[in-house]
Amino acid sequence: MASSWTALYLAYSIVWLGVFGYLTYLLLRQKRIARDIKSLKEEVARHGKSGS
Amino acid sequence: MNTRRLGLILTAISAVLILVTTYLAIFFAPLPATSVKSAGQILSTIEGSEISVSGFVTNLNITLRAIVDIPNIIILSLADFSDYQRYVQAADAGDTSGTWWTVRPIDVRILSGGLTIDRDPDITSEIHNGSNMSVLGKVVHESIGPNSAIVGYSLDVPRSRDVTIGAPGAFSVMTAPVAQKIFYFHMPSAWVSYVAFFITLVASILYLRSRDFKYDRLAMSSAELGVLFATIAIATGPVWAKQEWGVYWRWDDTKLVTTFIMWLVYIGYLSLRAAMADPGLKARVSAVYGILGFVTMPMSLLSARIAPLLRSSHPEVIASKSGSLSPEAGMTIGVAVIAFTILFAAMLIKRVEIAQDEEELEELKRIVGGEE
Repeated sequence: MASSWTALYLAYSIVWLGVFGYLTYLLLRQKRIARDIKSLKEEVARHGKSGS
Repeated sequence: MNTRRLGLILTAISAVLILVTTYLAIFFAPLPATSVKSAGQILSTIEGSEISVSGFVTNLNITLRAIVDIPNIIILSLADFSDYQRYVQAADAGDTSGTWWTVRPIDVRILSGGLTIDRDPDITSEIHNGSNMSVLGKVVHESIGPNSAIVGYSLDVPRSRDVTIGAPGAFSVMTAPVAQKIFYFHMPSAWVSYVAFFITLVASILYLRSRDFKYDRLAMSSAELGVLFATIAIATGPVWAKQEWGVYWRWDDTKLVTTFIMWLVYIGYLSLRAAMADPGLKARVSAVYGILGFVTMPMSLLSARIAPLLRSSHPEVIASKSGSLSPEAGMTIGVAVIAFTILFAAMLIKRVEIAQDEEELEELKRIVGGEE
């Protein structure tokens, strides 16, 4: 019975880790993309100024 | 309401519902009764699995005093579950006369335990009605399908004496009823992956018709989430299978293999996208792949339902004639399915949003690269 409970909690851990791990990945990825977009936009703006 | 706020609200709702599901699964949903079929029950007859059973000698054929050697192999007699249901109904009605069991043998090699018998100093022993038997064994040969219940033992003994141990329905063969609670997360994960791959199909068709990249983003995002939830389902299933079947995986089980193929196909879909740089080509090829790859979804979904044709031991509980869920278990799985569906919707909104940002980033990179 003890191993059954262990298996149960192992399976639940897989679910929680999978879901929240992926959510964390999404949030971190979105932050990084937002940062990259911001810096690229600044670069484009700088190039625009120096070009004009 | 903007999509970001909607996504946050849906995530919060689904998180609460998943917590509720966890509580219901552990404390509210009852353990499956061992004499009634439920997810995970009576499937421990698979070759290679270990089985633990016990009972009493209730009938000795030919003679009431048999002299036997302790057998190394016992043959367990099993009965189809459909017969068992009829038997339960007849027992409730008070008339159990007639034949109820379609008896088929499986061979079990004894690992430990056996008959409690009177032994002489020499090799002979005596068994009689009331002798106890408790065996931990390993199934070495299976000649029955799934959904069967052990109704008694026949000992394969020398001198052709036939000994029946136990009575119909007297044995508990569900080796891990607690592990059955994995079902409340395993099944909704699988359900969401099917929904996700269906959305990928629809969005792929819409992309090919309209060439609008918003459908490509939706198809890709949904496929990625489908792979996530299919991975959860594929990872949690073997945890239960090890407890109930004694093995993590069966390559001869149609449900398991078709689900694995579906998972690989959508891994391929994501890999293909990652390997292509041209956005137009990537979207077109992915859409065709997303349509063709969908054929694996109904293969996986339906394989357990047509198990008699395609050999699967995977439990098929919902929407089947023999499936039986208690109201508490039904409520728990209902909440779980709603929770996972809302969670999927929230994640899909977020993933599409990020895909849009990724496209903007790629566009900016092209502009900067062009200027340099």
